[in-house]
Order: sequence, then C-alpha cells, then structure tokens
Amino acid sequence: MKQVTYTINGKKHSVIVQEHELLSAVIRDKLGLTGTKIGCSQGSCGACTVLVNNEPVLSCITPALRFDNAEITTIEGVALNNELHELQEKFVEKGAVQCGFCTPGMVMTALDYVNKHPNPTIGEIKEALSGNVCRCTGYKKIIEAVCEFANGGKENKTRNIHISGAVGVGRPYIEATKKVQGLADYADDHQIKNALHVRFVHSLYPHAYIDDIDTSIANNLPGVRYIATGKELPIPFGVLPISQDETAMAVDKTRYAGEIVAAIAADNEDIASEACKLVKVKYRPIKEYLSIDDSLNDIGNNEKIHEYGKFNNNIHKKAELRFGDQEQGLKDADIVSKMSFQFEGINHGFTEPHAATAYWDENGLTLISATQVTHYLHRALAKVLEVPLHRVRVIKPYIGGGFGGKGDPFPHEMIVAHIARKTGKPVSVKLTREEVFLTNHGRHPSRMTIKLGANNDGILKVLDADIAIDGGAYGSFGVVTSYYNGVLLQAPYRLDNFGFKTYRVYTNKPQCGAMRGHGAVNSRFAVESMIDDIAHKIDMDPIELRKKNFLDSNTLTVGQYRITSNGSRESIDKVAEQSDWKNKHGKLENGHGLGVGCGFFISGSALPIIWNELPQSTVHLKVDFDGRVLITSGANDIGQGSDTMLAIIVAEVLGISMDKIYVLAADTLLTPVDLGSYSSRVTFMAGNAAKDAAENLKKEITYAIATKKAIDPAELIFSKNSVYSNDKSVNLPWDQAIEIVTANRGAVNVSGKYISPKLGGDFKGAGAGLSPSYSFGSCIAEVKVDLQTGHVKLINVWGAHDCGKALNPLAVEGQLEGSWHMGIGQALSEEMRYYNGLLVNNNFLDYKIPTTLDTPNIHTNIIETIDPEGPFGAKECGEGAIHPVIPAIANAIYDAVGIRITKLPIKSEDVLSLLQEKKLIESI
Amino acid sequence: MIAEKKYLQPHTIADALLFAQQNVDSFSYLAGGTDIIVNKFQGNNVSTCLIDISQIAELKNIVIDGNCLKIGSLVRLDDLKKNAHILERYPALIHSANAVASPMLRKTATIGGNILCENRCMFYNQSDWWREAVGYCLKCDGDICIATGGKKACFSKFVSDTAPVLISMDAYIEVLDWNSSTIEPLESIYTGDGITPLALPATSLIGAILLPLDHPITIFKKLRPREAVDFTSLTTAVSLYESGRLKVVLGGVDPKPIVIQGTINDDFEELIKNALKKSRTVDNDYYSRAYRREMIKVFLQQSFTELSLRP
Repeated sequence: MKQVTYTINGKKHSVIVQEHELLSAVIRDKLGLTGTKIGCSQGSCGACTVLVNNEPVLSCITPALRFDNAEITTIEGVALNNELHELQEKFVEKGAVQCGFCTPGMVMTALDYVNKHPNPTIGEIKEALSGNVCRCTGYKKIIEAVCEFANGGKENKTRNIHISGAVGVGRPYIEATKKVQGLADYADDHQIKNALHVRFVHSLYPHAYIDDIDTSIANNLPGVRYIATGKELPIPFGVLPISQDETAMAVDKTRYAGEIVAAIAADNEDIASEACKLVKVKYRPIKEYLSIDDSLNDIGNNEKIHEYGKFNNNIHKKAELRFGDQEQGLKDADIVSKMSFQFEGINHGFTEPHAATAYWDENGLTLISATQVTHYLHRALAKVLEVPLHRVRVIKPYIGGGFGGKGDPFPHEMIVAHIARKTGKPVSVKLTREEVFLTNHGRHPSRMTIKLGANNDGILKVLDADIAIDGGAYGSFGVVTSYYNGVLLQAPYRLDNFGFKTYRVYTNKPQCGAMRGHGAVNSRFAVESMIDDIAHKIDMDPIELRKKNFLDSNTLTVGQYRITSNGSRESIDKVAEQSDWKNKHGKLENGHGLGVGCGFFISGSALPIIWNELPQSTVHLKVDFDGRVLITSGANDIGQGSDTMLAIIVAEVLGISMDKIYVLAADTLLTPVDLGSYSSRVTFMAGNAAKDAAENLKKEITYAIATKKAIDPAELIFSKNSVYSNDKSVNLPWDQAIEIVTANRGAVNVSGKYISPKLGGDFKGAGAGLSPSYSFGSCIAEVKVDLQTGHVKLINVWGAHDCGKALNPLAVEGQLEGSWHMGIGQALSEEMRYYNGLLVNNNFLDYKIPTTLDTPNIHTNIIETIDPEGPFGAKECGEGAIHPVIPAIANAIYDAVGIRITKLPIKSEDVLSLLQEKKLIESI
Repeated sequence: MIAEKKYLQPHTIADALLFAQQNVDSFSYLAGGTDIIVNKFQGNNVSTCLIDISQIAELKNIVIDGNCLKIGSLVRLDDLKKNAHILERYPALIHSANAVASPMLRKTATIGGNILCENRCMFYNQSDWWREAVGYCLKCDGDICIATGGKKACFSKFVSDTAPVLISMDAYIEVLDWNSSTIEPLESIYTGDGITPLALPATSLIGAILLPLDHPITIFKKLRPREAVDFTSLTTAVSLYESGRLKVVLGGVDPKPIVIQGTINDDFEELIKNALKKSRTVDNDYYSRAYRREMIKVFLQQSFTELSLRP
C-alpha cells in the first residue's frame, strides 16, 4: 500500500492505494466520484475516460499508482460553479444524452480532442470517438453536439435548454443536465456504508449434477461473511407465470456453463473473488443439448433440461396459428418463394452492467437495482424470499440502458436480498461484463423456413412460416417470443392466407428473452428479404410491391389485430424520395446498391403478463400550496426518456411549464403500479394514464375556480401558466389557481389510469401480439460491397417511422437512431458465439457493437399519423424501428451484387463465398 | 484478477533493470499497460510485481542516430504521427499505428508495447473461469490446443500491427539487459511458439526501434470486422526497396510474423504461395481460417498492385 496524492478537479486528495488497484476504482470507490463509469473493465468502451495531466486516460485499465501527484479531471470537474461547459450544453441541447452511462466518457474524450484539434471535420470527430461505445444514440446526436461545439458552439453559447411549450416540442430529457455532469446515480453508484460485496461461483459445465459444494476453505478466508448456495433459495421464478423455471442459484443441477452455483459476500470484492476460487464444487456432467436440433429430437434415455413437458425432448413451447388456407394459397399463387434463414443470438449490449444493492430494516426489504420491471421484480422477490408484497420495496435508480435486457427478475437480485437478510447488512453486487453476457436474455438464435406466394401483379397471397428458436436454459419471455416470431408477420401487409408454426427449445446455454423489437426481428428480416426476392422475380420495384400490399388504416388483420393509425405509405414514400430511390435502385454500378425494408410493431401489449384486474398503468398527481405538480408513476425510465414524456403530457394538459413538474418514478413504495418498460408500452399506456390523471387534476382545479368565481367551468382555459376565461373575468396565474383549489383542503391528489380496450379474436393464441395500436416504418440502406474481400460498407440509412405523434421529437429521433444503429450491429457484426456451450465473445472487444466509424450517415424522419387512442396521438418509437433496417441492408447487398443473404450477421467471408458461388453458377 | 503485491516505478533504465533482477521470479514490465492490465484482469498474467516503466524519459525520444531513425520504445502510438520525419518517410508506420485499437488506447499504448504484445487466441484471452471450463489450453498450462485439438503446438496469433511494417522496413531493436546492450533484427525476437512467443530474456527491455533512413515504400493492410478497436485478423506489410528487393510480412495468421523475401522479378503468385505455406493459420479468430488465408492472397495482390508491380 502506498499513499498517493491526486489533485482532482482542483481539489487535493491523499489516498491509500493498493498495488493492484486501478484508477477508476480509486476515483469511484475511495473518492466517491462516481461520474466516471465502468462498462467493460478492459478499455474497450471508453466510459471510464478521465483526463490525467491533460491527457485522456482509460481509468479502468490504468494502475492507480502510476499517477501520483497528477492533476486529474473527471466529468464532475468539467462544469464550473454549476454552469455547464459549452460542450455539455451541446450534448444536452442536441439530445446526445439518453441513458447517460456513456456520456461522461464521451464528453471527456470529445473535450480533449476538440481542445487539441479545433475545427475538426465530422470524419475526424468520428475517428476521435471511435473507442467510445454508445448503445442508445447511434452516435448521430453525439457527433452533432461535438461538431457544433467545435465549429462555433463556443462562440454561440446556447442557453436554450429551458424550452417553452410541451407536446411536439423537441427538448432534452429533464435529467440530462444531471447526466451530462456525471451526477446521476446509477445502481452501482449507490454506495451504502458497511455494505458487503458479492461475487459468484459459476458452473463449469453446461449440464451437470452438483454432487457437492465444499465451502469450508472459502469460509475461513478472513473477510468472508456469508456463502450462499442454491438450496437456500429453492423457489423458482420467472417473468412469465407459465415459465417459473429458474432459481437464484443452481439447485442439484446446473443448466448452462456460467450459471451461478454459489455466492460469496465479503468485506470487499477482492476477498469475495478470492474466496470463490476456494469453493470446491463436485460436478457430474450429463449429456448437454447445445443446438436446436439436439433439443427438438427425442432424447432417448438421457435427462431433459427441465423435467416438465409431456414429450421426451427439450421443446419448451410449440405455437401454431393458421388463418385462411395456406395450402390453397400456395397452389393459387403465380410465384412462390421458399427460403431458409439462420440467425445467431444477439446481446443487448447496454453499457451499464447489472448492479444491485439490498438492505433490510424495519420496513422490510429494499432493493435498488438496474431493472426495467420494478413491478415484476417486486413480485418475484416476494415469492422467492417468502415475504409479503407489502414488505418489499424496489427502487430503480438511473439506468444505463436496457433494451429488454433488464426486463426480467434476475438471480443476482434474489441473492443480494437473501444475503442481506441473512447477514443483517447491506449487500451490493455489480456484474462483470462477462457475467452480463452470461446473464444474457438476448435475442434468440433462430432458424426458419418460409414460403411466400404472390401473383404476378405483386399481390401477396400466402405466407407460411416454420420457425425454431433457441431459448437457452430457462424460459424468460420465451413463450411470448415464440408467438411473436409468427404472429407479427400478419402486418404491415394484407395476407388472407397466413400461418406459422414455432418451436422454442431449451438448450444448455445462457437463456434468451426479450430484446428490442422482441420476437419479430428475425422473421421480419426473412419476410422482407423474400418480398425483395419476389419483386425481382416478377420485375417489379420492391417499393411498388410493398405499397400494393400495405394494410390500410382502420382495418383488421387476418388474425384480428385492430390497425388504427398506419403510416406505412408515408414512411416508405419519405425514404424513397429522400434516397432518390427511383434513380438509384437497380441503376448503380456493380458493388453499389440500395435496398428497402419495412416493419411494424406493437405499441404496448394489450394483455398484462400476470392476469389481474389492475390497470396496466396508474399515475398519481399531487399539487400542493407551492404549485408544483408531483407525478408519481411506476414506469421505468431506462434512458428512453419516459420521465420526460410524462412531464410533457401533464404540462400540456395543465398548460404549465415543465419547471413546475417533478417526476418521481419506479419506486414500488412510493409510486403506483406500472407494468414496466417492455413491449414498447410506456408512452402509450403510462402516457395515457398521465393524461388521464392530469385531466382529473384539471377538473378539480376547474371546479374549485368555477365555484369560487361563479363562472361556467367550460369557460376556463389552462395555458401559459395561467387559468383564465376568454373574457378575462377570470385571469389567474398558476399559483393563485392552486391557492383556490387547495383552500380548506390542502394538497390535491388525483389518479389516472390506462386499461387497454378488449381486443382480438376468440381463439387460442389470439392474445399474442394484441396491442391498442401499432407503429409502422421503412428504411432504405445504401451499401458498397468490396468484390474482392466481401466487405460490406454501409454508406447511408434513410429511415422513417410512424410514431403517431412525436410528443418530444428530439427523443423520438434519438430512439429511432438508436434502433437503427442496433439493427446495423445485428446485420453486420454482432453475434453470440459459442464453443461447446461456452460463450466465446463475452466482452466488448469481441462482441462487435458498431463504432462511430462503422455507423453510416443516418437520415431520420418522423412520420405522424395521430393515433386515435394514443396520448395526444402518440405511439411507440423505441423498438419497431429496428425491424426494417436489417433487411434493407441485405436487400441493398442484393441490389449491389445480386446475392441473397439468408444468414446474420452478414460476414465478409459469407458475402465473398456467395459471390464466388454466383460467379461459378454464371460461368456454367 | 491477480492482485500484484508490488508496484515499482523506476525513472531510469538502470533502475528498471535492477528492479527486474530483484523480482526476476514474478514480474512484468508495464509500458502503456493496455494489454497487460487486461491480461491481469482475466488472470492470464499472474505476475506479482509490476515494474511500470512509463516514467523513463530516456525511452521516449525520437532521434536520428547515424543512418537510422531511433524511436524510443515508450513513444506512444499516438505520438508517431506528430513526428515530421516519420510522417514524411514512414507513412505506413503511421497507418499501422493508427490501426491499433482505438484513439484512446493509442494515447497510452507504446510502440515497444505493441511489438511485444502478447499473442492472442479466442480460446486463451478469456477469464480464468472460462479457461477452466474449456479445460485450459496449452498456453495456460493445459494439455491441448483448443483451436486444433493438437497436443504439440500453440497457435496463438501474433497481433502487433506495427511490427509487420517495421520488419518489412528492416527495423532493428535495441535490447537492453543487465550489463548488456545488443542490436538485433526485430524479426529475430519472435520464436513462433505461441506459448512463449518472444525470444528475449525476461529481464530485458527494448530501448528503441531503429529504422534505416534508406527507407522502402511500404503498403500496410489490416483485416478486422470493425474500423476501430479490433485486434487484427490479418496484417500485411509489403515493402519495396529501391534495389528491387521486396519484403513481405504477415501478422495475425501465425504465432510469429511471417517474412517472405523476394524481388520485383519474382513470380508474385509464388511469393503468395510461399506466404500461405508458411502461415500456420488456425480457427481461433472472428474470421475463419479459410477466409483469412484467402485474404492473404487478396491483400498481397492488392499491395503489389498499389506498388505498381502488377496490373
């Protein structure tokens, strides 16, 4: 140990540092400057960037002792005296801050670069930021912010963060200034005194009995406080009531390599890690099932992964729905395309690793966790720990991205809660990036064969899909995923003969679950590729073919989805025009092409996961003498901006400015139930609940003023922080209006709710994919294919998405750009790769999220169709946009070089191989 | 993570070598540290003493020394482009340095660290838990190469991007050790053994890289899935000397750099065949063995074309 002195942000710190400690750990854990984030622990994501002696340094791979007596600037030192730096202002103003976890590192990197390279080009900025990963924004707004700052922003200081107006006005998130300064506390930033720290023992085998766990040596290590094993927490849980198949730790047998077998709580992480190595587990390996085929087949005398299920295989869920007559449709069609596709698993890649802290006190359990489903976590904790619901409190702090990956209750959350109860101490855990990958719940590896038939006039006649998805070791959202792979093919095109069969199998790999665009991304890719194929075969423009088949607004699909607003046509027209499709598609030189794709998605599942009579979302409002409106909502802002959305809606209804609103969200003690951030439901459902609540508050205020002033309530107008009548007989500033409504009563509390209308048909499976509204969109991609290497360079993506009404256009653009970027990753570089059941690329170096340099120019278009039931016409924008971009890229490759992509990711070597195959065929 | 017990920070070469002698049983030199710290995090580097040489000023200079350009081993990759001489005469070195990792890492990583970068393999660069689960490979005291199933040889990849360029430019290195200083061809320090890829004594330091002022024209290429961050799947450097001599160096396809000598009068297809024959490429990378070998052909053909050696 050695004492070192740092001057950090102008303040001198002397601190005792151990030989192996890293600068990031000292800054965060010993000095409390938690604005510096740790996303990967290997210098691959840039979140930990600080300036040391005016040079940027990745603090997560820098020995703390290296920089004794150094001047260090962290994100907390960039703003001066509560005044944001101009670059920070640009980040806020341009909407470059979403989840905010990468933001401190981005700001530090950009600040250093621009200070040393004035007036950089966009290309230079992209290069400078290419080591900083952002999973939310698609980098577009970050690059814009840096560019504006570098090229004039310093002279034209923007002070326009407090924008007036509400619905339809683009504005930064309400918490953006906090995030851009590194002041927003994420789960691992909540450092509770005297907390124990947990590390895990992970299974070495994909499928094995656990014959013995010897913890005796580990127990004797000084500093070890508790060792938990699976038998202590035997109650199974899962996000779906029908798939309660996971336990907090493996009990008796392990079902994937990496599954938690034991958990050790110690005084610090180092001790806990060391103790994990001393735990001796005796495994007895049994036959493992690592592929879809392995698990579809009869397993003979071997043991199944899970005992339940009536057949002697590892099929978890079989779903089949049929409408019309596919057989006849295939006979009648002039042209039938049959193709098979294969998809690797995809991880969410959120930058903030899972983390949680639990403690017990006189009020029972409190868990602070990086979750997007506080409500379901609340229920799961109560079940697993056998405590009443009223003794559990779940708090969601700021979340560094989720994309579905924080949408289940997780083993580590159960474990810290359990150990905290056993030890009587707060217990914290943060997962390594490898553990995040092992936790997974990402997009299912899939394969499918699809038959699509059309007439020569381009009218689609029939679609029949046969799909198998690899669910990994546990259920998660998998039953829903199984259905979504099929049912979400019944739009955006009219199909009278439509059917599908899907199988979800268990395999001995980390479990899959919900991920952005849940369930429909891969099958959408397949169908959009096949539509492109048919268009070429009948010599029809692929856009024209799509437009001939789009469903109209206000119609039903064959499976009785109620389509209300529908911006398919506007979306495709927009991107066609913007990309100059007519003059480019099919007309560019060999190796250069354009492709199109379309999609649609649910705007909130109409059915709750757990059947009950609760509204899907409830929002409370309170206004007291000070005039501030407190919104309490269980909705989980995971970086997508839902807190801001709630504030906008309430501000709009009440005609007040945003500074009069405070949002308290996702704390199960203080906030009413919202089901959580999944199925793209929050804007539609929590937004409608907030609108309902605001209208109820407006009624209360109206009634009080009308009574007091003896005026017809219909005469009262709420606008510009006032309540007034047109004749000005009443003209009350907001605080006076509140004085009237609170007189002799005190604070006014109101509630609003959202309950989905009854929808859908009367058949088994009719509920899958039902939504009160659907979003629609299109993308066109432009690629260049290197004919010698097979490398695909994505040049442009033009995207348009029908979000109903953009309550906050800046946030909507950010969601769309992030979706397209994530789709680009799945298209071109991302995959979860296994070797004998072991995930090979379990880090941000080997899991290939596109960098700034791999991200094309993105052209963003919001299409507004004003949904009749959405809050102010709004519907989802956070997930659906991912669907069209991936097939657009593959179809562009077809346009460029005439090869049809049937496997993701599109690796250079596969492209080259297809090119060679094509050449060979052409030469025969 | 292996928690080292000692962290030493010498300010002179002599002190660094002395510290190395004193801790010879278990130490690692730390230059930028961008690879070693990650290897420590994953448990691949288990030394209990780190000798952080990053503060040794005498290793940070770039000077002309006789008929050589002498680049101190602690010159950061990001700083190479700031040297006018390198910029003018050795642009391929800058290309290769700029192709390493990301801009942030290049501000810490050094050229000495890059040429001594530990070999990599997707079955080796994993956490301790992962390597135990897979059964430990030859490079971490196991019995078998996971990539090939063989028991005799480790095929971890040589991944430096700058070294192929430097070797193709006939670079030498100054090797400093306790009571000795030698000048050796850079290519001579690589053993071809994936387990122990360097032929240098553990206590020795690279003082500098020496580049002849009489420089060739060099074409550098790198294969990687993304345009930043990634280690190489194939690096090629082809240098054409005024005399007509050709020196082809490959990285990323063998445990050591593959060097092929030739002249402009040679049959290029034969040179390529020779390169392929010498490369012991295995499936331990993002790209398949077959594709990387195919890209050897493509990259070399493209390099020859760019050097106006073939149509």
